[in-house]
Amino acid sequence: MVLCREIAKLVLILAIVEHMAGGEKKKSGGGGKKKEVKKETGLGLSFTKDENFGEWYSEVVVNGEMIEYYDISGCYILRPWAMSIWENMQTFFDAEIKKMKVKNCYFPLFVSPGVLQKEKDHIEGFAPEVAWVTKSGESDLEVPIAIRPTSETVMYPYYSKWIRGHRDLPLKLNQWCNVVRWEFSNPTPFIRSREFLWQEGHTAFATKEEADTEVLQILELYRRIYEEFLAIPVTKGRKSELEKFAGGLYTTSVEAFIPNTGRGIQGATSHCLGQNFAKMFEINFENEKGEKSMVWQNSWAYSTRTIGVMVMVHGDNKGLVLPPKVAALQVIVIPVPYKDADTQGIFDACAATVATLSDAGIRAEADLRENYSPGWKYSNWEMKGVPLRIEIGPRDLANNQVRAVRRDNGEKTDISRVFLVEQVKGMLDKIQQNLFDVAKQKRDACIEVVKTWDEFVKALGQKKLILAPWCDEEEVEKDVKTRTKGEMGAAKSLCTPFEQPELPEGT
Amino acid sequence: MVSSLRLPALTSLFSPSFTRRSTVSLRRRLHLRPPLAAGFSAQSAASSPTETEDRVDSKKSGRVQDRGSTDRVITPRSQDFNAWYLDVIANAELADYGPVRGTMVIRPYGYAMWEAIQDYLNVKFKETGHSNMYFPQFIPYSFIEKEASHVEGFSPELALVTIGGGKELEEKLVVRPTSETIVNHMFTQWIHSYRDLPLMINQWANVTRWEMRTKPFVRTLEFLWQEGHTAHATLEEAEKEALEMIDVYTKFAYEQAAIPVIAGRKSKVETFAGADKTYTIEAMMGDRKALQAGTSHNLGQNFSRAFGTQVVIVPIWKKVDEKTGVLDAASSVAETLKNAGLKVKLDDTDQRTPGWKFNFWEMKGVPLRIEIGPRDVSSGSVVISRRDIPGKQGKVFGISMEPSILEAYVKDRLDEIQSSLLQRAISFRDSNIVDVSSYEELKEAISLGKWARGPWSASNADELRIKEETGATIRCFPFEQPQGTKTCLMTGKHADEVAIFAKSY
Repeated sequence: MVLCREIAKLVLILAIVEHMAGGEKKKSGGGGKKKEVKKETGLGLSFTKDENFGEWYSEVVVNGEMIEYYDISGCYILRPWAMSIWENMQTFFDAEIKKMKVKNCYFPLFVSPGVLQKEKDHIEGFAPEVAWVTKSGESDLEVPIAIRPTSETVMYPYYSKWIRGHRDLPLKLNQWCNVVRWEFSNPTPFIRSREFLWQEGHTAFATKEEADTEVLQILELYRRIYEEFLAIPVTKGRKSELEKFAGGLYTTSVEAFIPNTGRGIQGATSHCLGQNFAKMFEINFENEKGEKSMVWQNSWAYSTRTIGVMVMVHGDNKGLVLPPKVAALQVIVIPVPYKDADTQGIFDACAATVATLSDAGIRAEADLRENYSPGWKYSNWEMKGVPLRIEIGPRDLANNQVRAVRRDNGEKTDISRVFLVEQVKGMLDKIQQNLFDVAKQKRDACIEVVKTWDEFVKALGQKKLILAPWCDEEEVEKDVKTRTKGEMGAAKSLCTPFEQPELPEGT
Repeated sequence: MVSSLRLPALTSLFSPSFTRRSTVSLRRRLHLRPPLAAGFSAQSAASSPTETEDRVDSKKSGRVQDRGSTDRVITPRSQDFNAWYLDVIANAELADYGPVRGTMVIRPYGYAMWEAIQDYLNVKFKETGHSNMYFPQFIPYSFIEKEASHVEGFSPELALVTIGGGKELEEKLVVRPTSETIVNHMFTQWIHSYRDLPLMINQWANVTRWEMRTKPFVRTLEFLWQEGHTAHATLEEAEKEALEMIDVYTKFAYEQAAIPVIAGRKSKVETFAGADKTYTIEAMMGDRKALQAGTSHNLGQNFSRAFGTQVVIVPIWKKVDEKTGVLDAASSVAETLKNAGLKVKLDDTDQRTPGWKFNFWEMKGVPLRIEIGPRDVSSGSVVISRRDIPGKQGKVFGISMEPSILEAYVKDRLDEIQSSLLQRAISFRDSNIVDVSSYEELKEAISLGKWARGPWSASNADELRIKEETGATIRCFPFEQPQGTKTCLMTGKHADEVAIFAKSY
């Protein structure tokens, strides 16, 4: 039985959407409850990824020292271990958009209500999530002021002012900032928080063709962030009408999948806004012929959610597993002295190893703290997900070698100190590639192609990522959501993938 | 210990000699557009057309009409400093007014400078052992209430969120005016033993203070900054760190922004609400008012070594057959300088006249301009104009295009400009600080719009009296102190230190 009456033209991925808390869906998101934090770090997790994914995730981001819970529900503290990952991605992405001649700027946090409401669909989509400043000190504000949930309405009045003629186009601006969306669905560190950091690019063009081209250029950059930096396979595709950006023309995205939960997750979005906002904000320009024309606009963003996806995909029961390309620390060097060993010699060797690696541009440090045992250190740095551990004990010192242990697969190798840099670089590359390969394998194994409603429901129950023929009607999509709302959570369309398999006639 | 450096206002505001010259350059610019010259003083006749007239045919070229000539009106600095400031910010496209009163939009040209500052400081912070992190923007009102003195200091300025997601919130949330309360709250959780110390973190963030009177960059409702927070096991360590950071800021001001700040300690009255001690760097603005705490206004809309475009190349041609030769030469000059590590912009659009471009890039404060016309192409040389020396004096002809010669010349000029700026700023500052030994002398100095420096050991009440009677506050007790015995300018009793008094922003 097919889901809708029309001939299906496209195939669509459906999966249970990521909607989890540090635990069950049934938890409410309100109130100021503070979460209990384990004082001990580096000494093992009490939950396993396979059996209690939600609890495991909450524990691992705290024990790995990425997140600290805060007195306001849904707001989290990003600790240096997480911040450095954000900064590493930022360095890459910022350089790439600068090549595309996009310029950084900064628009205010506050939006006046009049402007916020200018684009009808947009405000419908975002209004329920806006936080309002209503007082300053003791006095009430005459007009409450909104905090940006996204900056279209803040920026576009200026686009209208700054864009007069075709010479003012294209206008390409980006900002790195924080936004606030006061949601009540279960907050989850990185994945769904009330305040989060992101970048939002907003561009205006004279023609739709230019806009369309950029949408895909940016989407490709997002794919690169996920696949090349975070080692996470994603699928590029177009969002359904129901799921696209409120007020836009079409939305493209990269979608990731978490095999453990069978849930899909939106990785980043690149929207073509068409001329909808240009109409509302009167963003016109005089073209070469002297005619008045509306601009074509895009907006695109990715956020700290990327870090959450990375934790979910790569983490294991020992803790975080960080891809070398984004890890703050790529190599941790640990001395393993025995009672009669030449302790100073070992310490010196550790320092020398760090120096050699650092000079070669590798992010390395030594843990020389005397009040922690080597075993404790192994657990600690495994929890923090450092890709490579190097141990130096008396035997290694004698043989002028070090022992390297990979975080991803536990493989141990003895490396001669003579070839240290090349070997370490090689291993880091292998780790990066392996993380991606394993993730891709796991995801591909979860993809199921279905043709009927029954097959669909069955696959959903098996936590699969589903590829199904689809006619993309809003009503039908809502219907699917309602009908599948059960223990697992409602199914939602992730996207229509750009890469389409063959579709037989009459599907 | 908290060290904070606020977003700079990005305009160069010191040096009266510079003022005079800049008005000259303004007049020169105006001269190229007759309709505007009429609005300004008779002195405009005094400024003669420069060589640019020969080379630039803005009126006769028949090119596309330059739009927005009214944009380029800038109030002379000596006439109305405040208006000048606002005009420059708008015309150099540094910022725009935000939709909500008192907020501002930082445009790319302005933001690029902030990014350069961030890059510089991030390196320094890492070198001194700090890590970046990010704390939430919202603070439960109860947190703020806990720190009584903190509340008193900030209360009228707090923006409060009471509605979220369509519902009234259980507890009012404050949009952070600064993050002490949150950070301290977390520090108590993270620090259990001496082994967890020192804890040294930094965050780059936006903060909000609901100010009554605002001015772009200087005082806005929302502004960008970095705030470092550290915890140490001993007072000595904490003190050392505070001084180390002030040193970072001071070096930054002198070396990168060419601002000769005075580093010192705040008086108790002026110390941060809830703090033990506050160290500051104080800068003197073009109108001689003081600006505090490393709010480096003067990050060179112009001239600062690290910031923005250092050289702009403007190709000039009249006849179509000259165009290719000129553009080729301009491109290769651009390449040469880029390879030498300089930040270069080649303005080769033919939608604007050379004259328009000269004005535009002067407005943006680019230190050096290279002009290349057909004659230069045939002689293998270029013309170089300095932004800081207007008129004929600032222009040099016949600089060889040969890469090694050109590169060396340009680099030398840029260094010269940087130190010249710093020197001028130092002279200006020093000539406007008066050493006083009595309250009468202090009053006189302040009334003349200058800074007063004198021995001080009087009470907080006396300090407040000076504020009421003269409008001046103690900017700091400078680290650099004169030798010899001192007697307080107010009480005549013994004083250990001199303090600096001034009116401020």
